[in-house]
Amino acid sequence: MANPRSPGTETSAPLRVSGGVFTLSILHLESNNPQQLAQRIAEEHQRHPAAADFHRHAPVVLDLSAIPEEAPLALTEILNVLRAADWFPVGLRNAAPRHQALAQDLNLPVLRGQDRNAAPQPETPAPAQSVSTSPGGLTIDHPIRGGQRSYARGGDLVCLAAVNAGAEVIADGNIHVYGPLRGRALAGVNGQDSARIFCMSLEAELISVAGLYRILESDHPLWGKAAQIYSRDEQLHITALTL
Amino acid sequence: MAKIIVITSGKGGVGKTTTSAAFASGLALRGYRTVVIDFDVGLRNLDLIMGCERRVVYDLINVIQGEAKLQQALIKDKRCENLYVLPTSQTRDKDALTSEGVTAVMDELRTEFDYIVCDSPAGIESGALMALYHADEAIVVTNPEVSSVRDSDRILGILAARSRRAEQGEEPVKEHLLLTRYSPKRVEGGEMLSLQDVKELLRTPLLGVIPESEVILQASNQGIPAIHMENSDVAEAYKDVVARFLGEERPLRFIHPVKVGFFKRLFGG
Ligand SMILES: Nc1ncnc2c1ncn2[C@@H]1O[C@H](COP(=O)(O)OP(=O)(O)OP(=O)(O)O)[C@@H](O)[C@H]1O
Ligand SMILES: [Mg+2]
Repeated sequence: MANPRSPGTETSAPLRVSGGVFTLSILHLESNNPQQLAQRIAEEHQRHPAAADFHRHAPVVLDLSAIPEEAPLALTEILNVLRAADWFPVGLRNAAPRHQALAQDLNLPVLRGQDRNAAPQPETPAPAQSVSTSPGGLTIDHPIRGGQRSYARGGDLVCLAAVNAGAEVIADGNIHVYGPLRGRALAGVNGQDSARIFCMSLEAELISVAGLYRILESDHPLWGKAAQIYSRDEQLHITALTL
Repeated sequence: MAKIIVITSGKGGVGKTTTSAAFASGLALRGYRTVVIDFDVGLRNLDLIMGCERRVVYDLINVIQGEAKLQQALIKDKRCENLYVLPTSQTRDKDALTSEGVTAVMDELRTEFDYIVCDSPAGIESGALMALYHADEAIVVTNPEVSSVRDSDRILGILAARSRRAEQGEEPVKEHLLLTRYSPKRVEGGEMLSLQDVKELLRTPLLGVIPESEVILQASNQGIPAIHMENSDVAEAYKDVVARFLGEERPLRFIHPVKVGFFKRLFGG
């Protein structure tokens, strides 16, 4: 029987290495105390289960700008706290040279990405996903149910029906929801911070633009109203959609 | 070729088995050759509700494992000429239900019957997935409370994604919402979600509303499908459901609290 050539035995093709831009969450470390960090995360996740969900398996960069150079840093323990909370720490930034050395000992990359517009680039072997910039998109005309997730890769997501509680709509571009938005909506997930979310009735569990996120409760002044959500100056803004 | 209908819900104890028995009986009363299958392996409730538990010799699992022929496992209902029950096993575990086995059983039943009604177990695991996989239509049984509505939403999503029709890119499974254990009085008191609330949350065409009633308990204790309980609200409500399913128009009933008359109040009911 003729065996098809197994791709692993090919010798001529060069390794495929390409560039990519990634949006990563940045966690601003408040102190060098791992216990305190654990407690803060537990509190946040208890208060907002949707945030816990959002963080689960999310790559995160630790920002150390609040940690003075001379402070001792129990980095291993801090990483363990994050992993126990289901986060994937992938690097450090704004770390003092002493702390950078600690990271190197742990094979943890020190990232230079300074702010959100130049998203940090992890040196960990993340899948080299090429971001399609085609104006592709996704139009959905039926309700998106709890447990379902729809992703518009490289474009906008338009939902003409409800996005129900427990459902997730994700887009590299904008998100438009013409039924009630009751689930989670994540726009600009590839770092496009000009992305926006538009909805006719804001009842969302969580909204996010380019990695910034916010949990909503029914006491929000725009709850049940037509609204748009966008990011400016590292802040999410929710405003009424008045036409 | 038979039409396959799954009675499903996600959440447990909402009235799937009660509905499967009543609905299948109603189709048979209308003259359709109908079989109702218990997919709740390990619990085996349907035969009790249908009142045929003492006639169970072979079951669905025996058929799937090749230990019995389908004809040997089908139990003829004692009330309806055209109705058969395919019970499940109480002793086997859920893994005994293989997808190849279920497909073979469905293929054989399809040629013999007009309707195949599948009583799904609760949950969203393999048993529930097996029960809904072959469905052409789904009746999603929901109680007027938030957790039941959430689970129904979830199962509607699964129907749209994991059924045979979805996998093969055919016309999607036709969805029906059935609100059961509806107590207009408690809705008025704000203890339960209203019909409007549930419709607004799920946005699925409503097949009917079955009121909360102690007649259900009497029926299940006697092994009589609720649709046979003469002069009861639930029997009437289930007959309406069957009629609507068959395309007839029926106004909704039993959705307003019963007004107690002046004399009844005066002299006690
Ligand atoms: N309309 C009704 N009024 C009052 N009680 C009801 C009604 N419908 C169902 N019940 C009761 O609710 C309970 C659960 O009903 P049933 O067994 O049909 O639910 P199920 O969804 O099949 O449960 P499971 O998920 O365990 O299979 C039973 O005790 C039944 O008598
Ligand atoms: Mg049951």
